Amino acid sequence: MTHATSPGTSTGASRVPDVGLALEALRVPFHPGAQVAFLSDLSVGELILLEEIGYRPVEIVSGAGSASWCPQFTTAGTEAQMWGRAIASAIAEARAGIHSEVSQRGADGVVAMRLELEREPANQLTCTMLGTAVRDERRSGRTRPSAREPFTTTLSARDFHMLARAGYSAVGIVIGVSVVGFSARSASQSLGLARDNVELEGQTTALYSAREQAMGMMEQEAGSLGADGVVAVELAERPVNTMLTHAVELMAIGTAVRRGPKGHKSLDPQLQLAMDDPAPEVFTSG
Amino acid sequence: MAGPGPGAGSDSGSGADPRTGAGSDTGAFHATTRVRRTPTSDLSVAEAAALRRVGLSPVGFVMGSAVMQLASMMTGNVYGGMAIRGGIGWGGFLSSARARGSYVESYPCAHFGLVTNAEHYGFNAENTVLAASLFEGYRLALSRLQDETLGLGAHGVVGVKLSFEHMVGAAGTATFLATGTAVLHPESAPLASPFLTNASGQNFERLIGLGYVAAGLAMGVGVVYVQPNCLARGDLTAVGPNSQIPAAVGIARGRARQWLASTAQSMGEGVVHTEWSDRRFIRYGESWNQLALAVGTAVRRYKTEVEPLVPRAVVPLRP
Repeated sequence: MTHATSPGTSTGASRVPDVGLALEALRVPFHPGAQVAFLSDLSVGELILLEEIGYRPVEIVSGAGSASWCPQFTTAGTEAQMWGRAIASAIAEARAGIHSEVSQRGADGVVAMRLELEREPANQLTCTMLGTAVRDERRSGRTRPSAREPFTTTLSARDFHMLARAGYSAVGIVIGVSVVGFSARSASQSLGLARDNVELEGQTTALYSAREQAMGMMEQEAGSLGADGVVAVELAERPVNTMLTHAVELMAIGTAVRRGPKGHKSLDPQLQLAMDDPAPEVFTSG
Repeated sequence: MAGPGPGAGSDSGSGADPRTGAGSDTGAFHATTRVRRTPTSDLSVAEAAALRRVGLSPVGFVMGSAVMQLASMMTGNVYGGMAIRGGIGWGGFLSSARARGSYVESYPCAHFGLVTNAEHYGFNAENTVLAASLFEGYRLALSRLQDETLGLGAHGVVGVKLSFEHMVGAAGTATFLATGTAVLHPESAPLASPFLTNASGQNFERLIGLGYVAAGLAMGVGVVYVQPNCLARGDLTAVGPNSQIPAAVGIARGRARQWLASTAQSMGEGVVHTEWSDRRFIRYGESWNQLALAVGTAVRRYKTEVEPLVPRAVVPLRP
């Protein structure tokens, strides 16, 4: 590793901005415009990363969806379709809401979107999304392939920056949900009296089929959007065990991405020994 | 509001030693009798170094706080009274709220009218009173933070952390807390009103490099009181999508966003670093206040011609 400073890497004395000039600007009265130009929940470092790939912040946008289901009487080995659809519809409604807010503002998408799930009561799910809508400033004159539909992504600004520089674009978040029931354990097992070490095959099978169906649904959605793949997939699994209900609930959420016409471009990263401790937050994920 | 407001203390610092705060008479809220001989800060070494690069040095860890009795237009008692009076009482309440011009929407029972309304009738109502008391708590905490900063003769506060929680006092009270590190530019004359920012030292450096300066903190609050109907409370006999909770979240967030934009408008061209929090606050039985809170840094452009900050891809070698 070389420790020498190459010409492009210096952020040294020549670049140090003068804070005195900035403080002088605070002495003069500010003449506000008709409205603020932009609202963002991103940090300055994140905005620089977005600016570099041509995106500017517009406003903070949000969406919410909520649905309930009847969790009783799940059948062993069978998908609880109404339950799964209720969860999927809550997430889809939130996504549709944030899409319409993005479109109203003439923006192109949402970066570093926060996706939160709230369950209260237990048979209900409220999904909320919030993030900074961004506009593609390099779009003028040409339309992007996905221009008709805004994109949303939970990828951080740093990840989104790398994705764009590597020649990919985010298509949107895609979701898959599946709920599969299984049979209750035997009386002695559930009372803790059973001494045998056996696999609960019904539960393993339920977990497998829930995962397969959720991933399949997510992949199908990505395929219908014309995506080349899904990144940053997160699986959220929740077991539900009550008197009448034995089921596993599985959610898969990820960002569908599309390869650009020029294919993959290498970022050619340099190895660097950072003297900064802790790392600047813009270079860490999340 | 108890005690002297922030305005009473804001003219402090005149005639006091600006570096120590000794002799200033800012009232009972600050550690004004404490002579500050040693600079303190909650900055990390990297943050302090970033600030040093733009010419700022830390002069003291500062704090502003206020313990508030929260006002709400719907307290437990009022709710109980409404429940007894059933639909008629709510009808009266909803129409009076509508007459005031605030957001109100009713969500009737989804059980085809087979069940009495008193149990499952729902409504959303904007709780402007609670929103105003939260805003006031934050405003007091921030103005005291600013007073303490003025007392130190500093130019601003970096890395402001804001919180509100039950720290002192009983339920129905909230403690608003603002902390941060006051920073000084020795070559500049004091500002009449120090800037505040929730950005870290490194992000402050980047902001200055971009030609913007932090002008102050912008804030927004939105509260919607939610009395869920049978769909929104998860009745097993009425399941499916509900529009009541999404509407409550949407209105609360929209109000917070509007307020954030309007407080920022007088300070700068945009808002960055918005910290957003959504909570279900102060519950009464099944109902709750859907709360949205947003605090961000209003930024003002001071220089239009700047060298672009070009990020490079690196792989940091870390253990």
